[in-house]
Amino acid sequence: MFLTRRIQTKDGIVLAVEKRSTSTLLESSSIEKIVEIDTHLGCAMSGLIADSRTMIDHARVECQNHWFTFDEKMKVESVAQSVCDLALRFGESADGEDALMSRPFGIALLIGGIDENGPQLYHADPSGTLTRYDAKAIGSGSEGAQTELQEHFHKSLTLEEAISLSLKVLKAVMEEKISSTNVQVATVTKEGYKVLPEASLVDKIAALA
Amino acid sequence: MEHAFSPYTDNGGTTVAIAGKDFVVVGGDTRQSEGYNINSRYAPKVFALSNGSVLATGGMYADAVTLVKTLGMRLEWYQFQHDKDMSSPALAQMLSTILYGKRFFPYYVWNTLGGLDENGEGAVFSYDPVGNFQKYKYGCGGSASHLIQPFLDNQIGRKHLDTQIDYTIEQVKKIMMDAFTSATERDIYTGDNLEIFIITKDGVTKELHPLKRD
Amino acid sequence: MAMVGKNCVAIACDKRFGVQALTLGMDFDKIFPVNDKLMIGLAGLATDVETLHEKFRFKVNMYKLNEDREITPKTFAHLVSSTLYEKRFGPYFVDPVVAGLNPDGTPFICSTDLIGCINFAKDFVVAGTASSMMYGMCESLWEPDLEPESLFETISQAMLNAVDRDASSGWGILVHVITPEKIISRTLRARMD
Repeated sequence: MFLTRRIQTKDGIVLAVEKRSTSTLLESSSIEKIVEIDTHLGCAMSGLIADSRTMIDHARVECQNHWFTFDEKMKVESVAQSVCDLALRFGESADGEDALMSRPFGIALLIGGIDENGPQLYHADPSGTLTRYDAKAIGSGSEGAQTELQEHFHKSLTLEEAISLSLKVLKAVMEEKISSTNVQVATVTKEGYKVLPEASLVDKIAALA
Repeated sequence: MEHAFSPYTDNGGTTVAIAGKDFVVVGGDTRQSEGYNINSRYAPKVFALSNGSVLATGGMYADAVTLVKTLGMRLEWYQFQHDKDMSSPALAQMLSTILYGKRFFPYYVWNTLGGLDENGEGAVFSYDPVGNFQKYKYGCGGSASHLIQPFLDNQIGRKHLDTQIDYTIEQVKKIMMDAFTSATERDIYTGDNLEIFIITKDGVTKELHPLKRD
Repeated sequence: MAMVGKNCVAIACDKRFGVQALTLGMDFDKIFPVNDKLMIGLAGLATDVETLHEKFRFKVNMYKLNEDREITPKTFAHLVSSTLYEKRFGPYFVDPVVAGLNPDGTPFICSTDLIGCINFAKDFVVAGTASSMMYGMCESLWEPDLEPESLFETISQAMLNAVDRDASSGWGILVHVITPEKIISRTLRARMD
């Protein structure tokens, strides 16, 4: 299990995950649990990461199709909704069409991005339910993390404050000692999706103490 | 004698769209003809759409009506899926993809789309039947477009003139009526009535003006 | 293109010479003086334009010698017409436009088709590849009883804007305004493409 968390601020979205390594021989940079869906959308995940391939591919294709047809970026809510619609396409349908998938997805997603309605964060779970949050933690240790978030989140957080809050919460609930290699942080601002480089995490983590 | 069926016919007619600072005026004559016959003296070929844009069509009327129905449907779907009205530039792009979707059996329609862009400024989008389009400040289509286009270049684009003018809605309407009265004189497919749509941020209004019926 | 004004007429042409899309010359005048008060413009196949110009010059000179007077615009129009109709089944590929002042000073314009069917107009006539654009321009810009300077401005604007929308015309414009006193000739620079 992994810990994934997401914060919505007025400047943008912060996504942070723990990359728990199961072996000392594991190359931590090969674990990718935050991905880009479009320039204005990012996604963090928890669960069966392999299942995310299907969902992320779907979301990316939806975004590109929307851009192709309408020459505009797809709304965050619409992307999240389209992913949730996909989550229910298992088993045979009522009119006897062939099944698209044999079982439900085993993954929860946090989809965050910016559109004409500002920064937004959505939680899509395996049941296909879509919920909007100001801040949300999922995965192992999410109960503790969510409590932490509830305590410290306020609507006027700046992006930098949100990044350090994310790291602080991760640090508090992670079993391993937090370092620049076992977490991944990404932001979505007006300028777009960006993964924070490891080098910049070193300072930010050091500043937590 | 075996007569080959042709899936296309040209029903004539002319359309003009002129954008201003924060408005667009879209007009079209209401004559519908086939060869030397007049089918109808009032068959509107300019359509107000649900998102506040106005589509002016020319060419084959049946294709135009089908296209407008499709657009109406897609606008409704979009509103349900995304919980907002489609913007004019989004509609402009969608119209292009719909037209290109029929690249090898095209809708025989020359479209001119009027609406307000993302900044609330007037915008005109002109198309060929397979979806090639461009954004302009003014444009015209249909049987008398050859006659009207250079006139618009001169009066709206102010080509070969020293002064640029930001026209008011009333001035633009007057230029448009002049363009149509002139076109009606020389183009047999243009006449009967001129239907004008005025688009502002407050919505769309419609006017009907008589043209020569000969 | 020719236009009627108040006691004056204007005639204008572009300066391009080309075969379909290929431009071969940019200084090809298509308007030729017939006498002090009369001009003819010939749009169409360049070789026929040259031939007809020479032919009309010859016929007008012969007319002058035989009749001992200047040819009137109306007579000249009929001369053009019959010359073209002679070649009814192997025509010259031209679209002529005639503009001049009658002996009483009133304006005269007309055009013919390539086999000589005359169109006498009271307002304006057009000919050539940009004719539909010129119709649109003239129909909306022209008004009755224009003075020479206004007439010049009107025909210039009509011509410039029409020619800019025709790929087969351009490379500058030549305008003549014929008044009882003089002929005002001006070359206008336009889009050179």
